[in-house]
This record gives sequence, C-alpha cells and structure tokens, in this order.
Amino acid sequence: MTLATFILKNALRNVRRAALTISSVAVSTALMVSLMTLERELMVPPEAAGASLRIIARNKVSLMQPLPAKQLSAIQRIPGIVSVTPFTYFGGLYADEEFTSFAQFGVDPVPFQSIIVDARIVGGSYDEWVKNRTGCLVGQDTMKRYKLKVGDRMRFRGTFYPCDLDVRIDAVYQGTVDDRNIFFQHKLLDELTGDPGTVGTWYLRAESAEVADRVIQQVNDAFANTSAEVRAESERAFQMGFVSMWGNVSQLIRTVNLVVVFTLALVAVSTMSMAVRERFRELAVLKALGFQRRDLFGFILAEGFGLSVLGGALGIGGAWAFWTFSDIQGMTKGILLVFEVTPRIMGMAATVATVLGVFSSVGPAIAVGRMSVVQGLKTLD
Amino acid sequence: MKPGIEWIEWMKLALGVLAGAGLVWGLARAAGLPIQYNIRNVIVRWRSSVTTVLGIAAVVAVFVVLQAVARGIESSSGNTGDPRNVLVVRRGSQAESGSLVSREQFKTLGYMEEIARNAEGQPLISAEVVLIISVPRVDGTGEANTLLRGVTPRGLELRPQVRVVEGRWFVAGKREIVVAQRLARRFRGFELGGTVKAGPTLLTVVGHFDGQGSAFDSEAWMDADESRSIFDRDQYSSILLRPRNPASMQVLTNRIDTDKRLALRAEGEVAYYEKQTLTAQPIKVVAGLLGVAMSIGAIFAAMNTMYASVASRTREVGTLRVLGYSRKSVIACFLIEGACLSVAGGVVGCALARTTDGFSTGTIDFQSFAETVFQFRVTPDLMGKGLIFAVAIGLVGSLLPAVRAARIPVIAALKSV
Repeated sequence: MTLATFILKNALRNVRRAALTISSVAVSTALMVSLMTLERELMVPPEAAGASLRIIARNKVSLMQPLPAKQLSAIQRIPGIVSVTPFTYFGGLYADEEFTSFAQFGVDPVPFQSIIVDARIVGGSYDEWVKNRTGCLVGQDTMKRYKLKVGDRMRFRGTFYPCDLDVRIDAVYQGTVDDRNIFFQHKLLDELTGDPGTVGTWYLRAESAEVADRVIQQVNDAFANTSAEVRAESERAFQMGFVSMWGNVSQLIRTVNLVVVFTLALVAVSTMSMAVRERFRELAVLKALGFQRRDLFGFILAEGFGLSVLGGALGIGGAWAFWTFSDIQGMTKGILLVFEVTPRIMGMAATVATVLGVFSSVGPAIAVGRMSVVQGLKTLD
Repeated sequence: MKPGIEWIEWMKLALGVLAGAGLVWGLARAAGLPIQYNIRNVIVRWRSSVTTVLGIAAVVAVFVVLQAVARGIESSSGNTGDPRNVLVVRRGSQAESGSLVSREQFKTLGYMEEIARNAEGQPLISAEVVLIISVPRVDGTGEANTLLRGVTPRGLELRPQVRVVEGRWFVAGKREIVVAQRLARRFRGFELGGTVKAGPTLLTVVGHFDGQGSAFDSEAWMDADESRSIFDRDQYSSILLRPRNPASMQVLTNRIDTDKRLALRAEGEVAYYEKQTLTAQPIKVVAGLLGVAMSIGAIFAAMNTMYASVASRTREVGTLRVLGYSRKSVIACFLIEGACLSVAGGVVGCALARTTDGFSTGTIDFQSFAETVFQFRVTPDLMGKGLIFAVAIGLVGSLLPAVRAARIPVIAALKSV
C-alpha cells in the first residue's frame, strides 16, 4: 500500500460523509461562482471593440432631458468626427408585453452605419432600411427570442412618448455587445410626435483614439452656457454611468458571497474534525508505529485538501457548464445578457476552495500533533 | 408599518414560536424520552453543534435579509399616498416620469365639480412635473439620477405624509428646492444651503423633508411652474387631486378614464404606488433561488453532523432499544435534536438579520430610472418565515440519519465499540 492509496482509502472510508461533504462544497462553490458572475454581469458590462471611438452626448441635466435637434450642425462642424446621429430611446413595450427587456432607438440610418462598425448584417438589407422610413434594424437575439423573420412587423406601445410605433423588419444585425436592441428611423418618431425638434442623445464616432478626448471636450464646450448644456463621454464611460446607478447592489452581492464562503468553511472544518475525531485512536497507533508528526499532518491535509478541491472542481465545473450551455436570455426574459463565467471568476473560486481545504485540516492536524500516544490509544469513540 | 400593526405582528411571531416549542415538546413526550436528554446531547457535542448552528444561521440570515430588501422597496412604495387622492397620468404611460399632461387638460380637470375644496374654497388639485436630474454622489462614485418633482401649493396639502423637518418649504416662483432627508445624505449639494446645478441654473436647497418611509423619501421638490421654465417643458407630468367623497371618486375616475378627448388614466394614488414595485421582483426571485441553493449546502452539512452523531452513539441507541424504546422513539429523538440545532440556528440567523433592520440604502428604480432610497425591513413575519425555513432544513437534514439510527439491529449496536 502506497501513501496515496492509504490517504484515498481513508477519505473514502465513510463514503456517505465524503459524498455529503463534496456535494455541499460543490453546491456552495457553484453558488459562489454564480454570484460572482452575477456581480460581473451587472457591474462590468461587455466592452465593444469600437467603443473607445464612440461618443455619447446627453443633456447635462440628465439622460431623460432631451436635446435640441438644432445642435446637429454645430456638432458636425467639429473636426475629427466621422459621423453623428441622433440617438433617442423610445422605451416602448413590445406587442402586449408588460415589460420589454430590449430597447428601441430612433437613429438616422445613414450616419448610424458608420457608427455601429461592429455590427454585421445577417439578414435583409441595410439599404432597404435606409429607404424605408417605417422600417427597422433588429438584433439577432431579439429575432430568435420572438421567432421573427425579415418583413414581419413589430409594434411598440410608447411609455415615454405619447405615440405607438409600428415598424417593418428590414434588416438584422449581429456582432455587437448587445444584439437585442432595435433601431428605427428618427424621422418616423418626429412625424409621430409632431416634430418637437428634440432628440434624446447624440451618438458620434471620432476618427481616431488620439482625437477622441479632444472631440469630447469640444462637444462639451460647444454648448456651454446654452439652454441645453451637453455632457459628452466615451461609450464606455456612459455605460459605467449606468452601472453606477445600481447603487449598493454590488455590495449586497459581495456580502452574500462572503456568507456563502463562511458556510463553506464551516462545512469543511466540521467534516475534517469529525473525520479526525473518529480516527483518533488509529492515528495514535500510527504515531506509536513511528510515523512523524509531519507525516500525520500530511495525511490529514491531503484528505481535507482532496475533498475540498474535488468539491470545488465539481461546483466550478457544474456552474460553468450550467451557465455556458443554458439559455440565460430565455430564462430571465432577456434581462441578463451573457452571464459569462470567466476564467478569473473560476480561478478565484478555485483559490477559495483550495485555501479552505488547507484551512479545514489545520485545526484537526494540530490536535493530532499535540496528542500523546497514550492518550490517543485510550480514546474510545 | 404602523406601530399598532407591528405590535400584532410581534405577538403573532411569539405565538408561532410558542406553538413550535409546544410541538417539539409533544414530540418528545411521544418519544417518551425527557427532552433534557436531547438538549444535553446537543450541548455535549458543542463543536459540531456550533458549526451546524452557525451554518444554518448564515443561510437564514441571507434569506431573511434579501427578503427584507425586497420588503423595504415594496413598503416604501406601498406606504405612499393618501387613500382619498386620485392620480391622473397619460393613458399608456407606466409611470409619472413618462407621462405628459397639458395645461388644457389640467384646466379641464380643475373645473370638475367632484373635486374637494379647501378652507379657502380652492379646488384640491395639483399639476406636477416629474423630472430626472443627475447629481453627484457623496462618496464620489459618480453621478446618479434623482427624481425632481415640481409641485403646486395644493400638492403639499394633498400629501399630509410629507413634512419639513429642517429649514423651510420653497417659495413659489423662486429657484429653491426641498430635498428628502434620506436622499440628502446620499448626494452632494443636497445639504441645507447647498446648490444643485440643473443645466445653466443653480437651485438652492432651503429645506429637508421627511416622507415617513414613503416613495417621497427619494424625491426633491420645487415649484412646478418654475421647474417647467427651467427645464423648458410645456407640459406637466401628472395631476393629483382629491374628490369630495368615495362616491365622487368613483364617478370622477370613470369620467376621466372614459373621456376620449382627455386620453388620461385616473387611479387611486395608493393603488398607483402599490404597483410601482417592479424593482422588488428580481430581488425576491434571487432571494428565493439563493435560499434554496444555500439550504442544499446547509442540509448536507446538517446531515453530516447528524450522521456523525448517530454513528458515535450506536451503542447508546442499542441501549435505548434494549430498555424498550421503540424505533419511532429513536427517530423522534434524533429529529428533536435536529430541530433544536436548527431552531438555534434560525434564532441566531434572525437576530443577525434583525440588526440590519432600518438600514438605509438605494438602488435604481426601473420605472422612474431614478435612485430610490429604501430601508431594510426585517419584519416579524419575515423572521417567522426564516425560523420555519431553519426548522425545515434541520428536519430534512436529520430525517435520514434518524431513520438509520432506528434501523440499527440491537445486537450489532450493543457490540459496536
């Protein structure tokens, strides 16, 4: 019998306990991975490749405050801008839904094409949409979720605007970080609302990363001390602004996660101390046979470590497989988008499981190290 | 929650706990073993008992606290409004912030004779503007949206819930705002005498109000017409009015709802706010999922402890059987121990959760897109739920070990060392 088989036999001596420990470690680790993924999903939205060149300008008062459409010409005069389009959030409810998880934006399709550079047209034709004032460009995810095809009509009830939207699907895109949204012609919105001369935000693209900061500055300066002051920022900064609105949600998730780790530690520690207490006499015999303290320490450590790591691996693998192969958008009605279990998250969970394995063995191992052989042999349990 | 109701809730919780204790005692009597035997058994194995208790406590605490968050969001909107008031918004809009009401519509409604009048004979109707402004946070983590409400003088009369606790009300026609005390703590410039920039205009904070745990605790108020001019808005967002009596409330609501020219929707103010709880839904779902997932881990841990307890007491169980105790008694005995552990865990968990009661925090409200401030509400009924949850974990976790203990053959049990 080698040392390894000795340890393995010991660990599996009480199969039920080993199984219970491994499964509770696995469940807790899976939970930990899921919580970290949730936090990441909420706090670190995916970053688009073209995001650094894209700039969003909104009203300085707040995103909900419109901007005058006449600002367009002033923005176009700023050097270093490839193109600029109005970008207005419609906030409609699709068909008879009570809650719609994808957004609808009014844009000018011609400049818009050179702004969403990461999008590929995978159905219909973009030119068709440009020509059709009552057409729209729909994301592949939404097409799939509602089983739509090019040529279908989509109806939205306006909640922010006192009008409804009825548009035909002319083109389908894919490849942006959020393939759920739909885009329609701003002209249509102007018509429906009686042309109030306002837009929600401006969406523009700078020529290069070098000029982006200067462009942002110039857009801000262009409307300083006017009735509609503007706040321009990179798309990423804008996204992070949205994230900061979650407030203390991130802290809440982290606290819950800490509690999960704490319960995990309790399970691991109690299992190991039970395992050792059961075998106190046996370990005393080993000691009497001449095994050193560090040998015993090694046996216990290897066992605790093995159980935790196995449980952790199962939990991490399970969580990864579950979130990777399940239809997260379908399950959450499109609220959660990617729910990607990243290697970093898996690494962190693995570290926690490993540390716990060691931690859980230290206490019992010290107790064993301290015991005298006589005392150990006397133990009846 | 009103103090009277809270008191009744506490009584209910106490009664529930007593009933549970009675049940355990009854079970112990049925088993025929003195309950001290079980309690001492739990205490003598204090190390594993403590870990089990703490494990269950952690699960219960998380479950109760998350429910308390959802409850807090719900209660801040459920606690809002006056049952005598009617809120009117544009038909098709989901929330005040997405609603538009014109001056003509406001005038038309103002002439309706079902509207109550105050001592000066003015109709109790207020046209309001709901706007979102972006304000820097106190902790320097960027800006967040806050809800700015433009109200007319009648708007204050219509909302007796709200009163100024510091400073004074704004003066109509001036660029002054009054901010909810709870909101003021979270944002820079909202302190008394502070200023907030709204476009090119500076608004001065002249007072703080207390909305008594209502949705108004997440708002800042100013003069309605001044806000329309600053923010360049032709239209109001909503109208709040008070009918003379419940009968005229019905008449008025029907009249507004069915008038095609108005295209408005009228609803009781209380009913409107009760529906604004979209934000609490996902939190409740997460609380449920987490509760289930964490309880699986806790059940495994409890099973582990109880199996170990059974294994180390094999001889003891054999002795009990020889003395004439039935298998059922043995099962009851281990179930009681599981229940004791889980009740202790539940109590500790609830006590931990209770310490967060009243903790004030904020998150985005999905309907208004503004930050909503709410307090954790660890109510007695949630704690009761937490206790039931704990006992369920304990019983499920100890059932299989108990059955195993009962199945041990007497002779084998006595022979075991």
